This record gives sequence, structure tokens and C-alpha cells, in this order.
Amino acid sequence: MSAHAKTDFVGHDTHAAAPVEKRSWLLTRPTAKTGLVSWLTTVDHKKIGLLYGISALFFFLVGGFEALLIRIQLAVPNNTFISHQLYNELFTMHATTMIFLAVMPLSAAFFNYMMPLQIGARDVAFPRLNGFAFWVFLAGAIVLNIGWFVKSGAPDAGWFGYAPLTSTAYSNQFAGDMSTDLWVMGLQILGVSSVVGSLNFIVTIINMRAPGMTMMRLPVFTWMTLVTAFLIILSFPAITIALVELMMDRSFGTSFFDVSGGGLPILWQHLFWIFGHPEVYILILPAMGIVSEILPTFARKPLFGYPIIVFSGATIGFLGFGVWSHHMFTTGMGTVATAAFSLLTMAIAVPTGVKMFNWIGTLWGGHLQMRTPMMFALGFMWMFMMGGFSGVMHSAAPADAQQQDSYFVVAHFHYVLIGGSIFALLAGIHYWFPLIFGRKVSEFWGKLSFWVIFIGFNVTFFPMHFLGLNGMPRRTAVYDGNMGWNDANLIATVGALVLGVGIAIYFGVMIYTYFKGEKTTHDEWDARTLEWTVPSTPPPEHNFDVIPTVHARDAFWYEKTHKAEIEKEKAEHAKAEQDHGGIHMPSQSWFPIVAATGLLIGAIFFVNHIMIGAIAGGAIMFLGVYLWAVEGPGGYHIHLDDKNHDKH
Amino acid sequence: MSTHAAAGAIDHHHDHTTTTGIPNKKLFMWAFLASDCMFFGALISTHLIYRLHETPNQPDILGIFSLELTSFSTFILLMSSLLMALAVNTCQKGHVGATRKMLLGTILFGLIFLACQVYEFNHFVHLGLTLNSNMFGSTFYTLTGTHGVHVAIGVLWLVLMYIRTFKPADGSPWILKSFIHLLVFAVVIVAGMKALLGGVHALQTAHGLNGEAISLFFEHDFPAIVVSAVGLVALVMLGRDRKAVEFGEANAVDVESMGLYWHFVDIVWIVIFTVVYLLEYI
Amino acid sequence: MVQYLPVTRLTNGTYLLGQMTLPSIFRSLKTRALSCAAVAAMPLFLGGWGNWNWLTGPQSTFDTKGPVAESQLDVFYVTLWVTGITFVIVAGILAYATFKFRARKTDDLKAVIPHQGHGNPLIELGLIGLSVLALVFIAVPTLRAIWYTYDVPAEEKASAYEVNAIGLQWWFKFEYPAEQIDGAGTLVTGNELVIPAGRPVRINLRTSDVIHSFWVPKLAGKVDMIPNRGNHLWLKADEPGYFWGQCAEYCGESHAVMRFRVIALNETDFAAWVAHQKTPARTVAPYSVLNGAPAAPYEFNNPGRNAPGYSADFDKAPFAAWQAKQEIDAGEDPALIAQGRQIFQQKTCTSCHAVRGHEGAGVTAPDLTHIGSRTTIAAGLLENTKQNLHRWIAHPNEVKPGNKMYVGVPLQSGVMAGYVKIDPATGKPEETPHITVSDAEARALVAYLHSLK
Repeated sequence: MSAHAKTDFVGHDTHAAAPVEKRSWLLTRPTAKTGLVSWLTTVDHKKIGLLYGISALFFFLVGGFEALLIRIQLAVPNNTFISHQLYNELFTMHATTMIFLAVMPLSAAFFNYMMPLQIGARDVAFPRLNGFAFWVFLAGAIVLNIGWFVKSGAPDAGWFGYAPLTSTAYSNQFAGDMSTDLWVMGLQILGVSSVVGSLNFIVTIINMRAPGMTMMRLPVFTWMTLVTAFLIILSFPAITIALVELMMDRSFGTSFFDVSGGGLPILWQHLFWIFGHPEVYILILPAMGIVSEILPTFARKPLFGYPIIVFSGATIGFLGFGVWSHHMFTTGMGTVATAAFSLLTMAIAVPTGVKMFNWIGTLWGGHLQMRTPMMFALGFMWMFMMGGFSGVMHSAAPADAQQQDSYFVVAHFHYVLIGGSIFALLAGIHYWFPLIFGRKVSEFWGKLSFWVIFIGFNVTFFPMHFLGLNGMPRRTAVYDGNMGWNDANLIATVGALVLGVGIAIYFGVMIYTYFKGEKTTHDEWDARTLEWTVPSTPPPEHNFDVIPTVHARDAFWYEKTHKAEIEKEKAEHAKAEQDHGGIHMPSQSWFPIVAATGLLIGAIFFVNHIMIGAIAGGAIMFLGVYLWAVEGPGGYHIHLDDKNHDKH
Repeated sequence: MSTHAAAGAIDHHHDHTTTTGIPNKKLFMWAFLASDCMFFGALISTHLIYRLHETPNQPDILGIFSLELTSFSTFILLMSSLLMALAVNTCQKGHVGATRKMLLGTILFGLIFLACQVYEFNHFVHLGLTLNSNMFGSTFYTLTGTHGVHVAIGVLWLVLMYIRTFKPADGSPWILKSFIHLLVFAVVIVAGMKALLGGVHALQTAHGLNGEAISLFFEHDFPAIVVSAVGLVALVMLGRDRKAVEFGEANAVDVESMGLYWHFVDIVWIVIFTVVYLLEYI
Repeated sequence: MVQYLPVTRLTNGTYLLGQMTLPSIFRSLKTRALSCAAVAAMPLFLGGWGNWNWLTGPQSTFDTKGPVAESQLDVFYVTLWVTGITFVIVAGILAYATFKFRARKTDDLKAVIPHQGHGNPLIELGLIGLSVLALVFIAVPTLRAIWYTYDVPAEEKASAYEVNAIGLQWWFKFEYPAEQIDGAGTLVTGNELVIPAGRPVRINLRTSDVIHSFWVPKLAGKVDMIPNRGNHLWLKADEPGYFWGQCAEYCGESHAVMRFRVIALNETDFAAWVAHQKTPARTVAPYSVLNGAPAAPYEFNNPGRNAPGYSADFDKAPFAAWQAKQEIDAGEDPALIAQGRQIFQQKTCTSCHAVRGHEGAGVTAPDLTHIGSRTTIAAGLLENTKQNLHRWIAHPNEVKPGNKMYVGVPLQSGVMAGYVKIDPATGKPEETPHITVSDAEARALVAYLHSLK
């Protein structure tokens, strides 16, 4: 079927019988398909996915740079490379950046790009809202990072922002320090973005599936998208309220976390971790989804125990809300609470282990193609297994009393977050690169980057287990040379530099491939799921010439093994759709970015306590939303240039 | 009242059936409300935790609360839910006129609830309970204030929906008019609220409805009374539009989603009323 | 590497429950476990890095010196064994599967299509059952240790000694509620906690500003000091000794250098120490020669920020160093000491620091009544040598950035200035320093403070 298409627009539709609607200039729809305007006004889930991806990778590099500065400071004892204050800003921003501005949006990039393709949809349920979620994300990222460029400096209270260190009494003892206000505001804005985006994904997955795509035929990545989206909408409110209460304390003199007014700083910890623990799964479940796509493709057999993998993912999400206090074993919760959270935390290891067993089961009896994405996916399995086991060690509260806030914990969560999330996301980039850009990375360079990253990562973080067990606490800018920590720290720093080289190779190769890489066929890996059925790579704007009908779990695999049947079916459906007016696409819009800009302006003025500006920002946002509502979803039609269907 | 006239014969957003048969907007609202539950859950937990802890400067809560007033506003909010349900029902049947009336009724009841809350907050502040006078003030105002913001957003949404029922079917220019309509609403609401509270104040000062109260009322609130009266007339004029409109049965899902939100806000209020107010009396 | 002390077991209620309990089996395996791990890791780290001290530092959680840390380590070993064995099995199968089933040629991508199996419920359920079983192995000793480590065991309650530890930015204050001084209230010290050995010590954890965490790895895992919350922990040092501790919860700019020491003494020494601490500050009579001729002035060069304040000599025998520190220094200069005492008042040190019996009744900074007998200064950061004390007094912000002595204390009404006066509007120090300490003044202050044994 030809991908060659012509388009017409609703309102200029010569086929329509209705009178042409006169639209005010305010509501003129942008129609550019290339250039800056097309990106600023896009509602295409693929373009939004790319915007998320590019921003996330940018912030990934920023966060990585911050990490390298931290490691250089710690390379030798009693180092004077950076000041305590800068060190504190760096570890605060490194964590905040990596969690909220790198891993989450990179997952969101895949949600956006792949999920609609995997369920056979032409876009998400609310395309303009999807654009809005991205622009709001960017606004939050700007607010968080603006501190680097102003006098007050970047946020320095830790990514967990434990009260009362965030109160005005301690964060700005001597002068109006807005770094904490920026942090509070930035996280709130990012929360809006995440919740709005997730609501959209939930509706899309539940409501926009292609015919035959039952819930138990959803690709696992889509399933994990759904679970993650639910985790986000249910967990972000807790931190948002905590941040609101903190903001009230800082700006309006309440005492939610202020001891002198009867506040309980421990309440912050509870609210934070009720969000914070599901957040851990928000970071890892998408990665598990990606790996669950890659392993079957390269093992060339279906995922082992699909229902159990799906069910365990949902169980992890559910239990994830019941284990938050294992971050607080050292806060003196008492024996019963400690025991209960200890046992629940152990319980969550079961569904996680189940996933590992099933992945191994997927490999078993397969015909493993050791391509670059597969290398990263296998790397994920090894590293995530290590991180998982040190996680089980933490679940034993008495052992955790020694490990909490030590480098053992740093080692643990980097194994889970880099060895887990980042490895899987890097695998995902490799895996879907041919689909997104129509080119593929050379196997040599891809595998080289994998090995350098893999070795650098282990050299950096494995010694940290020993540092923690040898008593080195986290978040310390200097340490003395007589504590037995020198060797491990130096090794870790060398490892971090190797890891940095690996990442540099990885991205260098990606950029080279984007411009000069080998062109691919559109089913490069002989894959199994619907996203690979797009008529061309990169996929056309309308994704599918014909909305697919799904007959089996690995829908594309089924199509490939039942070619004749599918051809016939597609021809019928294409005809039906063309008779119906063509392929309907949502129109682009200026208002998501206008509303998000209003939010950004308002937030920056609010943080500086300039209320007129804050109100002005709010007014711009309201106007954006108002015109957004008034302009309506719009839409236009694409008619494929195919003589069989050209009925007009 | 042709629904599809303006969009042409090919509007797939309305005739495109979803996988589950539940309209997207409605599903979105359900998911959002699940999220909103957690917002209120966190706020109510905060309130309860601090209520169960010893905090300094604990106020005489029973001496501050007025159960009669709050019961009244609770009742009003519940009744607004009834009107909201009727608005959905009439819209589903395509009776735009009746829908408008029900929407206006819901708006009015929502505003009465908000007026009660403004009065209550004012009153409490006079009694010395402020946002930062003590922990009870902090949690009380933050929780009920967040709920009030939800009601206010609901009212704004209702107003926008009401205005939208006038969007002409022939596609003639309407944005500016809709914006003016919105502004008039805003003016009437603010001035009316001020006049209403001024009236209550006058009644209290004069200890009853008497000549003194009336003269006090006109003395203090004359501009507000005039502005709200003029605004009301303008609203009536704007509401007498007899052109064919686009709004119809197809918009029932919009009204219904809004209704879900409104009912949710009401239910949350019942929880707040129980936890924050009634629990103090046992 | 790890000493197994059967004697302590007898006082440890947990382990009297049975000879063949799970922990006892794991305990018997643990020494071998550690040496196995160490041996396996040796080749990796030996070449060029010389002596293996990765797990034997002063804050090692493996080199336990008391029953609380010991029982926490036991639980750790259980988790290590269970996860270690599981790892070997799972990783073995993963490695085998990867190797066995990998495609030999990469160009036959579409040639072979393996059996399209979808799973095996029996295997899956069986594995779930096995994982649950493995976790039960961890859960049982975990639960026991949670109760054991939470508070002093009932049978030892009577002999427990109680101390209050209070965290402040960025130092620790220790109160001894059992030791009351006539007219001066509770005995208070700073940054060095002296406890009786062989006796359970219950430590009430408080804070007067942000959250801190009390951690002496060799004696017990950490417990946080949280505002508006009465936490506690207990620990016991089996033998007299000298232990390193550190704040383990991020608490602001100088969190990294908020440290402390714990010294455990036998009953006699502890009683003598308490008795001495209760006495007011030592006064050196002017114009008298007590301890030989005055020593020659020490050399002082500012080593700059973050410079180390430890020495190998001290680390070799820290407990002996602590004992030596209790003796009066040789070569004291009474004139210089008297001058130092005056400067101590002139520079307004007295408004924050207390020297009981002398001038100074401040409570916002560490009590200095017996500062000369402490082994460390600046919250366990620097050894208490003349040079280090000089450095701390003359350049406090290079030792501990943001400390209150340097930046002052924000009050409701403006700022109580420290060495610098900070403008509340801009957060920047005023041009002229508020307090300056010349080299000579610092020397006098050092002489005075070191005389306070």
C-alpha cells in the first residue's frame, strides 16, 4: 500500500456538504508539517515522543555531568575540587534531574511514541493535552534548573527535601534564598505534566485499542505503561500536597512542618515516600516493559508466561503503595510498623523475581540473536538482578539500620536505576531506532559502547557496596583518608570516567547514525508487535494505512504467518475507512504551548513573590486554555493515493 | 439543532466508538477523580494527624464553628448535585433550554455554597482563627480552601458550559461575544457576592431586618448592588439569544463529565463535613 | 576478621532460644563467608593496592564491638547467604541459557524459528513458591532482630545507663541525666560520648534544629534524631575502646564534617571520668610553673580548607591517645593561658560557649569546660592538637563551612554576628569582619583551651 498521501482540512473540505466555518484569526490552525512551527504546535504523538526523548537525553547528559563533578570531588580524600555548598547542590540536582528530567521523560518518550503504535491507534485520546504535558514538563525543567544561573544557587536540600531543612529557618537563614522555592515549584509543575500525561495514556490504552486488541493481547510494554500511568496519577498527589504544605509554610507562615508551631517533620517523610516508593516503580516498570519486548524479539519466541508477567507488574504497582516506610527504617517507627514494612518489602521481591524467571524462560529454547539491543537487555537482567538482591538485603530492617544512608544504598539504587532503568532505556533506543529514523547503528560501535558502559558502570558502583559496609555515609562532600575508603573511591571515580566515555561513544554513534547510518528495512529485527507494521520508517503521520485487526498476542508475528488472510482483511478495512471520509487526523494547535508558557511565567514570578506577574502568568494560561476549548479538537483527513480506494 | 452541521458530515470524534464504549472524556474524568481522591486523602490525613497530636495554641473549635451555617451550605451543595443531574438528563434528551436553566441553578447553588464559605472564613478570622494562628487553622483553611477552589473551578466550568450553549450553529463569529459573556458573569458573581455579604453584615449589625439594616446595606454596598443588578440584566439579555445553536445531545458527554466532577466535589465535601466538622461534636 | 564472642551471646536473649535456630546455622557459616568473599575479591584489588582494608576501617560494620551491631550483622549475613545462593543459581541458569541458545551465525536471522511456547504454569508457580520460601529464611531472623535491637532487653534494663544525644548543625551535644552537678544542672559534653563498657547504654536522640542521625557503626546501626519526635537507640560496647561515629542524615552545608567519637571505659575509669567531668574548669595560677619550662612555640601554617586533621600515630592506638589526653600537657605557659582566658572573653566566645567555673555560660555551642581532655575538636573532625585548634580558631570557615561560630546565628531580631556579620538582606558578609583572631591571639586561646583538662 502506498504511503503517498494527500491531505485536506476540515473547514476547507471540498467534499463536505456543510457551510465553511469562518474562523477568527485567533483560531487559525497551524498546518506546517516541517520546521519550527510544526514542532511547537504538534499534536502528533510521535513528534511529542521525540521532543520528550531529546529533552530527556539532554538532561541525562546534564545529570551525568553533575555526577562526574561529584565523583571527581570524591576521587581522593580531603579534596578541595568543589565547595561543600556546590557539592550539596550537585547531588540534589543530580538526583532530581536524573529522576524527573531524564528517566521519567525518557520513559514518557517511549510511552508517547510506541504505545499508540503498539495498540494500533493513530494518536492518543487527547492529542493537544499530550502536547500540553510536554510543554509543562519543559516549564518545570526550566524552573528547576534556573537556580544555576541566578544568585541564590541551585536547590541544595536533597532530592527528598526532608523538613525542616527546607523551611525558611534553615534553607535561608540569612537571606531570601529562592533555591528551595524553585525546587518546590519545579516539582509541582512536573507533577502536573506527569499526571496530565498519564491520564491521557490511561484513556488511550483502555479506549483506543485496535479491533481485537484485548487487554490480554496488549504488548507488555503497553501494559507497563498502563501500570506506570496509574502509579503516577495515584502517587503524585501525595508529593503535590506535601509540596503545597511546604509552600504554605514558606510563603504564608503556616507550620505544617515547623516544630515551633507543632509541626511534625516526620509527616513530610511519610507523604514524600508514599509518593517516593511508587516513584521507584514508575522508573523501573517501563524499563521492564522494554526488556519484555526486546527479549522475545531476539529470542524469536513469545514471552514466557505472559499472564504472569503482566500480573506481577500490576502486583508490583499495587504493593508499591504499601512499602513506603522501608525508606524510614531508621526513623524510630517502633517494632510493629518496622516489622510490617519489612515483611511487605520482602513480599514485593516475589513478583519482581517472577519477572526475572520468566525472562530467563523466554531465552530458554530460543534462538538468541546477540544484536546490540539484546546485549543491553541482557545487561539489564544481570545488573537488575544484582540491584534486586541488595534490595532484599535492605528489606531486613536490622541490616538496613547499618546500610541506610550509606554508600551501600547508593550502590543498590544505582544498580537498579542505571543497571535497570537506564540499560533498558538505552536498549530501547537501539531497538526502536530503525523504526523511528529508518537507520541502524553499526553492530560494532553499538556493542563497543555497551561493553564500555557495562564495565564503567560496574567499576563505579560495585566498590560502593564495600564503602557503605565500611561505614561511609552518603551526601558527604569530603571524607578523611584514614577511614579505609580511599581505594574504593578512587576506583569508583575511574569507573565513572569510563562510564562517561561509554555514554559519549553511545551518543556519538547515535548522532552519526542519524545522519549517516545504514538504511534499514522497516522490520529490521523480525519483530513481533504492531509498531513494526507501519508502512514506512520513519512512520507516516497517520501511523497505519489501515487500522490493524488483531488476532493474537504477538500481532505482527501472526500477520507474518497469515499473510493472505491479513491482506484481504486490510483491503476491506481500507475501503470502509475511505468510504467513511478518509483517515481522520487531529489538527495542530498553538494553545498547549501558550498555556504552558503562561504557567512558566506565573511560576517564575510567584517564586520571586511578584504577585502581579504571577497573576499575569495565570491569565495567559487561562486564555490559552479558553481558546483551546473554543477552537475545538478540529481535524482533517488524509486520503491515500491508492486507486482501489480513491472514491472521490 | 443539528449537531454536526458546523463540523461537516465527517466528524469522527463523535461517532468513533471507543474500545470500551465509554467516551474518552468520561473515562478521563474517572481517572482524574481517582487521582483527586489521593489529593484530598493526603489533605484529610494531614488534618486528622494534627488533630490527634498535641499542638500549641489549640483554639476553642466548638466555639468557632457554626454547625447551622455549615449544615445549610452542605445541604445547598447536595441540592446542586441534584440540579447537575437534571442538567445532564435534559441535555441527553436534547432540551437545550432546560439544560441552560439547570446549569444556571447549579451555578447559583454552587455560588451560595461559596458565599457561605467566604462568610465562614471571614467570621473565623474575626474570631482569631487564621491560616497561621495555629495548626488547626493551617490544616482547616488548607483543606477546606482546596475544596473551595475545586467548587470555584466547577462553577467556572459550569459558566463556560452555559456560555457554550449559545455558540451559533452557522459558524458566525462568537469568541468575542463568549468572552464578554464570561466577563459579565465574573462581574455579577463578584459584585453579587459582595452585596450578599454586605447584606448579611448589615443584618447582623442592625440585629434583624429593619430600617437600619436596609439603610446600612444601601449605604455600604450601593455600588455593588447597582453593578450586580446591571450585570444581571445584561446576563438576561445575553441569555435571550434565539439563534440556532450548535449545542445539543452530542454535548451530553461534556455535561456528564462535568457532572462527574461536580458530584465528586460534593461527595468530598460530605467527607470533609464529617471529618472536620461533625467529628468535633462527638 | 570478625570476632565471634560466645560470651556476649549469653547476655543476648535472642540466641538463647535454641541451639539449632536458623541464625545459628548461618552464624557458623559466616566467618567462612566473609573470608570466601574476601579471597574471591582479593585478586581484583590486591595488585597495586596493597593491604586489604576495604571492610576493616574505623567505621566498618563488620568489625562489630557490641551485641546490637553484632545482631544486625548476623541478619546481614543471612540476607547475604540467601541472596548469594539464589544469585548463583539464577545467574548460572541465565548464563547457561544465554550461552546454550545463542544463534551461532548472525546472518541466519530468519532461518530458524524455535518452538513458540508461551510458558509453563507449573514451573512458574513452583518458582514463586521457592522465592517465598527463601524470603521466609530472611524474615524469621529479621523479626527477631527488630525486637532485639529496638530497646534494651528486659533483663538488662536495671543495669542500663541513660544518655541524651542532641544533634545540632553541625555537632553533637551529650547530656548525662544521671550525673547532676550542684548548682550547674546536668553534666554536658560535646562531640565525644564517654560510656561505660559492658553495660547497655540507652541513648535518647533529640535535635534542636534539623534531622540528624546517630551512627557508630561498630556499636549499632543508626537511628535518626528528628524534631518533635522522641527517638532512642541502645548499644553496648563489649570492651573498653575508642569508636568513630558520624551523622548519617543530610543536615545542611557541613553535613560531611559532622562527626563524633564514642569512648567506652571500664566501670572504674568511667566513674573517675564522671567525677572529673563534674569538677569545674581547671585554673592555672598565673606566674607559676607547673609542669616544666614553657614549651617552644609550635609552628603554624594554615593548611587550607578540607585539609586532613588526623594522624597515623593517633590511629594506631586511639584509646591510648585518649588516655594520654587526660593528662596535663607538659610545658604549659601560665602567662599565655591567662592571656588566652582574657581573649576568650574579649572575643565574645563566652556568649555561646560555656566554661563551667570560668567565664562563659553560653549553651548554643559545645561546652568547653574540659575541652583539653578531648581527643578531637570541630565535631570529631580534627585531632585536638595545638596546630589543629589554632587552625579551627583562626580559620573556622575553611574547616567547617557555614558553621555558626563563623557566620553567626540568625535570631528573631536580626543576627548575632560570628566572625563575620552577615547582612540579612543580601546573605553576604559585611566588608569588615566582626571578629578577627591574630596569630598571637590564637596561640593564647590554644594555650588556654588546652589547659582545660
